[in-house]
Order: sequence, then C-alpha cells, then structure tokens
Amino acid sequence: MTIKKKILLIDDDKDFLFATKLILEKGGYEVFMAEDGKTGVEVWKSIAPDLAIIDMMMETWGEGFSVLNKIRATDTGKETPLFMLSAVDLQGPYNSFEPPPEFPKVNKVLHKPIKADDLLRMIAQELSGK
Amino acid sequence: MPNTPEKPLILVIDDEEALRDGCRQVLEKCGYEVITAEQGIEGIKLARERMPDMVFVDLKMPHMSGMEIIEIMSRDLPDIVLVMITGFASIVSAVEAIQKGAYDYLPKPFNPDQLRALTKRGLDHRNLKIETKRLREEKDRMEKNFITFVSHEMRSPLVVIRQYIEALNEIAGKSFDKDVKEIIERCRKRVQSLEEMVEHWLDISRIENGTLAQQKVSLSLASIISRSVEEMTPLCRKKGISLETNISKKLPQITGDAESLVRVFTNIIGNATKYTPEGGKITITVKNDEYYTTASIADTGMGIPLDKLPLIFEPFFRCRGKDEKIIGSGLGLTFCKKIMESHNGGIEVSSKEGKGTTFVLTFPVSDNAAKGNTGHTSKSI
Ligand SMILES: Nc1ncnc2c1ncn2[C@@H]1O[C@H](COP(=O)(O)OP(=O)(O)OP(=O)(O)O)[C@@H](O)[C@H]1O
Ligand SMILES: [Mg+2]
Repeated sequence: MTIKKKILLIDDDKDFLFATKLILEKGGYEVFMAEDGKTGVEVWKSIAPDLAIIDMMMETWGEGFSVLNKIRATDTGKETPLFMLSAVDLQGPYNSFEPPPEFPKVNKVLHKPIKADDLLRMIAQELSGK
Repeated sequence: MPNTPEKPLILVIDDEEALRDGCRQVLEKCGYEVITAEQGIEGIKLARERMPDMVFVDLKMPHMSGMEIIEIMSRDLPDIVLVMITGFASIVSAVEAIQKGAYDYLPKPFNPDQLRALTKRGLDHRNLKIETKRLREEKDRMEKNFITFVSHEMRSPLVVIRQYIEALNEIAGKSFDKDVKEIIERCRKRVQSLEEMVEHWLDISRIENGTLAQQKVSLSLASIISRSVEEMTPLCRKKGISLETNISKKLPQITGDAESLVRVFTNIIGNATKYTPEGGKITITVKNDEYYTTASIADTGMGIPLDKLPLIFEPFFRCRGKDEKIIGSGLGLTFCKKIMESHNGGIEVSSKEGKGTTFVLTFPVSDNAAKGNTGHTSKSI
C-alpha cells in the first residue's frame, strides 16, 4: 500500500473545509484541516504536508497572506505547492486578481466554489510535476 | 466643527474701519464672536486658522477683490457661509458672487436689523448644511457596511452549498440514478443563479456608492470586444448561434476600465444568446467618427415589445416577468448602463418583436473623454 499524500486545508468556514475534505479524500489524499491561520501554521509544522490550500480572506483581509508568509518561511515550506483560495467575485473585476510579485510564491489561485474535477486534477498535476 | 457648540465665529473682511467696527458691535451684541481683517490675504489666512462659521466680504477692496476672496474660500473652505457686501446695490456682482459660491449678498448701506437677520439666516443655513452632510455620510457608511455584510454573509453560504454539491457528486455521483442527478443539478443551477444575482446586485451597489474598483486607462475597444467574443464563443456554439464581428481597422483609443467593459459586452452578448433561438445570428459592428466610437450588438432573436423597451435598464425588470423561461435576475442591463455612465458613454436599444434587438454603445474617444472629465473627479478607486 502506498502512503497517502497529505494535504492541509486552512479556511475559517467549517462547511467549506468539510466539503473540500470529502472531495480530497475521495481523491485518495489524507486531509488535515485548520480553522484559523495560527492553527494552520502549527499543523503545517507538525505534519509537513505535501500541499496546502489556504483561504485568502479568513476573518481579516490578509490573514491568508500572513499564513502564506509563515509557511514559506519554514524549512519544509520553501518548495511545497501552495494554493490560495478566494471567494471574491467570480466574474467580478477582481477575477484577474494575481498576488503581487513581492508575495511568496503561490502555485495557484482558485476561486470558490471549486469544481471537484478541477481541484483533483490541479493537485495531481502539482504533486507529480515535482 | 470647532465653533458650533460655543459662540458662532464671524469674520468680517473690509478695508473700511468704520464698517468693521459697526459690524463687530452689532454682531457681538447678538452673542457672536467677531474677528476682522483689513484685506484679502490676511482675511483668508485668518479664516484658515480660525475656521469661522460665516464670513462677510466687501466687494471693493484694494489688492484682492471680494470676488477673488469668495472664489478662494468657497473652494478651500466649503463649510463656511460666505456673504458678499456690495457697494452700491450692484446686482451683477451679487449674482456673480453667488455663482462663485457665496450664500447671499448684503447691499450697502445696511442697517443693524438687516445684518442681524442675514447672519441668523446664514448660520441656520450652515447648521442645516452640516447636518445634511453628516446624515449623508452616515447613510454612505451604512450602505458600505451593508454591502460588506451582504458580500460576506450572503455569498459564503451559497459558495458552500455549491461546494457541498460538488462533494456530493464526487463521493456518490456514480451511484445516483438519473432523477437524483437531475434534482441535484437543478439545485446547483438555482443556487448558482442566486449567487449571480447577489453578485450583480453587489456590483450595482458598488458602482452607486463609488466603491467598485475601476482602473481607467487608455485602451482599444477592439481588444475588449475580442476578449468578450472569446469568452462567449463556446456558449454561442452550444446554442447554434453564429457570432460575427465587424470592426473598423483604425479605431481610436478610449478611456476605460477593461474588466468592467468586458463584462458589459459579455452581458449584452449573453442576452443576445439567451433571447435568440437556435440558428440565429449575432453581429457586432464597431465604427467611429471624430468624437465617438460606436459599438452595436445586433441579434436576430425574439425582440422586445415596444412598450417594454424603456424599462429594460431598470433593476430586476424582465420583459416576460415571472413567465420568463430563461433564468436571469434582470440586473444585467442595469449593470451595463451604470458602467457606461461611469465611462461618460451611452447605451441605447432598438428592437422589433420577432425580428431582433440591437444595442448601441457609444464611447467618447480618449482625448474627448479627458476634456469631458475636467472638474469632475472620477469616483473610481
Ligand atoms: N437581446 C435581447 N433580446 C430580447 N430581449 C432581451 C434582450 N436583452 C435583454 N432582453 C430583455 O430585457 C430583460 C432585462 O435584461 P437583463 O440582462 O437586465 O436581465 P436578464 O438577462 O433577465 O438577467 P441577468 O441579470 O441574468 O442578465 C431580459 O429579461 C429580457 O426580457
Ligand atoms: Mg442579462
């Protein structure tokens, strides 16, 4: 039996975590969840996941980014693929949102809700490409 | 508003000492605090430092005229109530002063009663103005909070429901039979259209209170249209409708926000596909003259009844009301109209029932747009 790849989900919406977890588990991943940034960073350190998905707008604008910074600053977090989630207007003027260049590397920016197929495909791509 | 709770502060700018003293005596007796200046520069400086509630300015003075003072003060210190003291009842200067922002004028010679009455009226006016401003700010703030509230509290549950549906299909989709799948798909569609409605409503509210992020730059309408066409082509293909563009080669640049303009076009093309039966045709034509670039989007669809035409830009209006079989919120065109207005442009429609509908968008060419914009600050952020 192969060891399952670990994915960490950080989002302050319990239901969103749960729904996404179901999809990821169905895709064969082991899923860890954190409901706030601080816990997220702690879980990150203790389990060293293969990939993390971080919501951009937890509680306050920018909390997602600070989590991203902290994760990128850890030893295991330098190269690990990180996805950012945003719930901003699907077709709104923000849909072209890209993190500014000075931000730590984000492998993908995804809009909520995420199609199950797309999510699993992008994760598989990211994890096999390494 | 430093002076309101205490004594109202009144500034008198006049080169005649007798008049300054006279005003001071009358107004101090009424319980006001009075400061005076002999000429313009000194008066403006004093006004900036002390922020009086009301200023009386003599029209005829050496160095700087009363008219200039009024002009500067009404621009820099808009809360102050300005009154022009005119020499011999010169109605022309009085009118000019009021056009430049004075509240009223006081012709010389005047008696204490006239001065008192005008001062009282001016101060009342000021209080009313301040109160109105406060209420307006309060209203804007509430609106903004409400928008933030809606965008977080109403959108997230909808997003989550759709995510659950995704999860449901992923973990059990294969074992559902046809009916179950259909129910789930219908739920998904309804939630999605509710989400889009919230989205549209938010956009319109944001345009109204000036918080929609727009970056106005010089851009080519051709690129906007080709982006929109690219976005809409799959839908047209799916619906069996042909989409043709006819764009003049040498179009001048226009000034606009690319994202919102793309949405204007995708909305209108989207409508054309929604309300045109299979086999129909959508034609986009762009032309220009010296001042305007005009884009028309014509379809061969069901058309809009003449009596409904004036209403289609109204929020939530749909021609066939509840009987409309096609899903929609009736906010698409409201959004388009507001965006066009924020671009100093226009949107017009003509239609023949059963034959088709044509929307015409006009954009002032860049140079012109800039001219049309002077003195009016764009509310975009
Ligand atoms: N090209 C068209 N042909 C026929 N009718 C149209 C056309 N475009 C708009 N309409 C009518 O005008 C109404 C208002 O259009 P609008 O785009 O504002 O709302 P909608 O398409 O109903 O919903 P949505 O907010 O999802 O766009 C429509 O409901 C339709 O009845
Ligand atoms: Mg529409």
